[in-house]
Amino acid sequence: MLADDTTPRAWLAELAGRVRGWLWLTGAAGLAAGLCTVVQMGLLAWLVDQLVTRSRDPAELAPVFGLLLGVLALRAVAQWAQERAAFEAGYRVRERVREQLLDHLVALGPVGLGDRHTAGLGQQWVEQVEALDGYFARFLPQLGLVMALPLVILAVVAWLDWLAALLLLASAPLIPLFMALVGMGAERLNREQFESVTRLAGHFLDRVRGIATLQLFNRARESTREVYVAADDYRRRSLRTLRLAFLSSAVLEFFASVAIAVVAIYIGFGLLGYIAFGPADSLTLFSGLLILLLAPEFFQPLRTLSQHYHDRAAALGAADGLVALLKEPAAAPFRPAPADREAPRITLRGVTLRHRGRDARLGPFGLSVAPGECVALVGPSGSGKSSLLQLLGGFLAPEGGEATITPRGPLAWMDQRPWLVQGSLADNLRLAAPAADEAALWQALCEVHLEALVAGLPAGLDTPLGERGVGLSGGQAQRLALARVFLAEAPLLLLDEPTAGLDADTEAAVIEALQRLMQRGATVVIATHQPALCAAADRVVELNVSGASREVADV
Amino acid sequence: MSECQDGSRPGRGSLVADFRPWLGRLGRRRRRLWLGGALMLLTAAAGIGLLALSGWFITATAVTGALIAAGVAATLEVYVPGGGIRAFAVTRTVARYTERLYNHDTVLRVLADLRADLFAVLVRLDGQALSRLRASEWLNRLTADIDTLDGLYLRLLAPPVVALLAMLAVVGLLGIMAPPVAWGAGLVLAALWGWLVIGQPAWGMTPGQREVVTRDRLRSRMIELLQGLAELRGYGTLAPRRQELAALSRRLYADQRRLAARQGVAQALVGCGVSAAAVLALWLGARAHAAGHIGAATLVMLPLAVLALGEVFGALPGAFTRLGGTRAAARRLNALVATSGRIRPPREARRLSEAMPALALEGVTLRYPDALTAALDDISLTLHPGERLALLGASGAGKSSIGQLLTRQIDPSTGRVTVDGTDLRQVSLDDLRDRIACLTQHSELFQASVADNLRLADPEADEAALWRVLEAVDLAEWARSLPEGLETRVGESGRRVSGGQARRLALARVLLRPADVVILDEPFTGLDEATAVRVAGRLDAWLAGRSVLYLAHDASRLPGVTRTLTLSEGHLR
Repeated sequence: MLADDTTPRAWLAELAGRVRGWLWLTGAAGLAAGLCTVVQMGLLAWLVDQLVTRSRDPAELAPVFGLLLGVLALRAVAQWAQERAAFEAGYRVRERVREQLLDHLVALGPVGLGDRHTAGLGQQWVEQVEALDGYFARFLPQLGLVMALPLVILAVVAWLDWLAALLLLASAPLIPLFMALVGMGAERLNREQFESVTRLAGHFLDRVRGIATLQLFNRARESTREVYVAADDYRRRSLRTLRLAFLSSAVLEFFASVAIAVVAIYIGFGLLGYIAFGPADSLTLFSGLLILLLAPEFFQPLRTLSQHYHDRAAALGAADGLVALLKEPAAAPFRPAPADREAPRITLRGVTLRHRGRDARLGPFGLSVAPGECVALVGPSGSGKSSLLQLLGGFLAPEGGEATITPRGPLAWMDQRPWLVQGSLADNLRLAAPAADEAALWQALCEVHLEALVAGLPAGLDTPLGERGVGLSGGQAQRLALARVFLAEAPLLLLDEPTAGLDADTEAAVIEALQRLMQRGATVVIATHQPALCAAADRVVELNVSGASREVADV
Repeated sequence: MSECQDGSRPGRGSLVADFRPWLGRLGRRRRRLWLGGALMLLTAAAGIGLLALSGWFITATAVTGALIAAGVAATLEVYVPGGGIRAFAVTRTVARYTERLYNHDTVLRVLADLRADLFAVLVRLDGQALSRLRASEWLNRLTADIDTLDGLYLRLLAPPVVALLAMLAVVGLLGIMAPPVAWGAGLVLAALWGWLVIGQPAWGMTPGQREVVTRDRLRSRMIELLQGLAELRGYGTLAPRRQELAALSRRLYADQRRLAARQGVAQALVGCGVSAAAVLALWLGARAHAAGHIGAATLVMLPLAVLALGEVFGALPGAFTRLGGTRAAARRLNALVATSGRIRPPREARRLSEAMPALALEGVTLRYPDALTAALDDISLTLHPGERLALLGASGAGKSSIGQLLTRQIDPSTGRVTVDGTDLRQVSLDDLRDRIACLTQHSELFQASVADNLRLADPEADEAALWRVLEAVDLAEWARSLPEGLETRVGESGRRVSGGQARRLALARVLLRPADVVILDEPFTGLDEATAVRVAGRLDAWLAGRSVLYLAHDASRLPGVTRTLTLSEGHLR
């Protein structure tokens, strides 16, 4: 969990600190590539000077040509190293953030995640974390290069001709100015652009989600037209933003081009002897050409940086959401349960509960469940049945009072929406017991009367289920989840409305299976509305909204 | 949808075939594409011209300066080249600005085309295909795929063509001045271009496609883990699931590392290759110069013109190394477009008679691919004119499928669905849906105002009509209390209104339809008892004189039921 006062920027800085070595290496490789470019240009200019001014034979200069090719190879290696090191920096950050986030989500648990959409969280865990990459792999190293490389080039130019260096330097104050301008403008525009892209995607998703409704109302053609109009409207608004966004980089480029042109003309006139002051007199073809070749390189790091500016904006945007998520307080630290298989005793004394984001306090509750006993919790909605189960499951911490479960072992959890994953029937069963053999799986299917159905399938236990158990009816899905409970052999069973939404026959089958589970000696707590399920329990405890609990029946 | 997932697997098949439908769509904007490309080329030409002319100018001045210093009377016309340098400098900036703006405009137009085209395909999908599409991770992927493809022109089509043309122009220029130089530098550059555009994508194809697939799998595994957190924590079986996620992440990183390394190679090759071509041009030019074929200024101009190609070549490595990812997006969308679950309107549509129709299922079996059992097994039932039939059953029993069959959102696997004895497949879809009003289980509200959401059912409805139906669902008072009244926006999927209000708005919308037959799927879910009773009373009046099919888990509160049937795991009881 992150401290409450962590800002997205501070978090990014902290992450950068962890990969500082790789960031330095990326910057160093970039600097090496830049230095190679300076040497390459120097050799090129020197060769030209030798060939033209000294009229030397090219064959004589062959070793220098060879040297030049060597420098090119060296630069290629440096460029490659820069790319690789950049990847490592970004990858390490992403790997670490994913670990951190997953730990945190697990600690938050099903209650802490609350009503956040799991698809949204999955999207955050994959895409948003990916969006951090460019900031570490490209933007930060380039920020370092912008400070270093132009200075090196300026020093070389100053050594060749201080007036030319001054000409370049004259454009230098413009650089921080434009960086600030690009920065301010780009950040705002990027955010706006990001928002309107999100809005457009949202509009599209909204329509796609509602397609069945549109079909039923015979609105297919009109809505297709509307999708086009929305996208075209987005284009119009984007162009207004882009006109300005591109302007800042155009201005940067304009100054670069003009500076190059001015330097070229200064050198040309200097070489002709038209300039009678300053160092122009001592210009040679070598120094003139080298200055001309280095002038674009002086501006290049900055131009690259402005290209990577959206990486920064994207990372900041992603960090916003991720930091907010990481700041969510977890109810209780998660510790894996020891594998104790003895049925536990549950004792609650004066336990009060408070749900995050809700005002109502629940309780105080007092409850005692003997090992192997089955208790049904009943009561109107809002009386805290589910919250009590969540407390027993360790997903919610009591606000006051004392709750003990001894001994604590694994527990089986089941609610009205069976949890199924994409994979085979066997995969779905083994979620509860990864080491279970086939015989055990069949045994569990027998307990819930699914064995005949599965045996009749051509692929049997290997029959694949689609996303979220597509291919199963509601009752089948619930019975499959119940088979998993049999398989887990957990000493504590917590069941939240396990038969809600099932028809009478299916409910009877589920209850029958549950009774067999109880006979195995597990402690069972069920939250339910269904009379049939209450009848199957040893004891029924009614909760009312004020928090009192009352024994209503001993069965 | 399974067909779409198939499309996302790395596979064989022709690259051109995968991209053809999208290239075809680009073709509609042909003139803009050519003009955009021309602007790119102009930008590149100005950049090359600036560097080459500057080099020529400096060398010419140096040579002339040396002559003057040696006492030889020599002159150099400086104003034309000086003006040229300035003109190139300004042209480059202006052209690039115009080009970026113009091409982004084009890309956004293409994006609008793509979205509308794809929507036109989706809106014809059947209920089963749509229910799979509803999974929101799938929907997010859909928009991500469209976004990937809208950059097709700007990243994959225009840059290589511009690079090729710029290269040909430079080599052509070289050829005019010194043919051997053109041959030497041209060969190096052509090899480089070929590798970047053909070799590089082939090299990155497998990891590129696999990366996208792994990323999808990682996302859906993560979502599953989060959904099952209670169970996994309880059973103590979180560790194996986390290991699986870790293994998938490692596979993702491995492919990304491969791609980064390969892209790094391509980038190094661009830097190295273009410079090497320039060095070669200088070497060959120097020999031509020594032989007296070319002047000193031309000698300098040649390598500089080659060197300036670095910028256009530099745009290639990224997009072409990652072509696999773009291809995966194209394949997925292709699979979606080709998806089989589509309702085909009849060739010669029959009109329905004016009288209240009788709807019937005749021996209908409905089997979804991948399902363990049939969703509906040999069901026959008739909704007679004027009756109110309640079809009861638990969730997942197949009630909603019957609603979808009767409105022809799905077709049966065997058997037929008829209206007045005519197979629905021969009846005009528009006609059928005009006659049946249907409240589905997930009736969606759209991100629009209350009024717009209601008018979906009847675009011509006046305000009085809207208030009437709001009254019927007991929402008029609520609507009057809103500061913006009927113009209040309901938010994404109706999130700004409560579940019960959203449900009643959807019901109000159905009531706006002047239909003979009404299908109501769980009309009172999410409503508290008192509201349900009030709404049921008003609904009863509105339903008078229409045929009604209720789909519900129990018959309580449903007004005026004349007959009840029970559906259990696909069978009628």
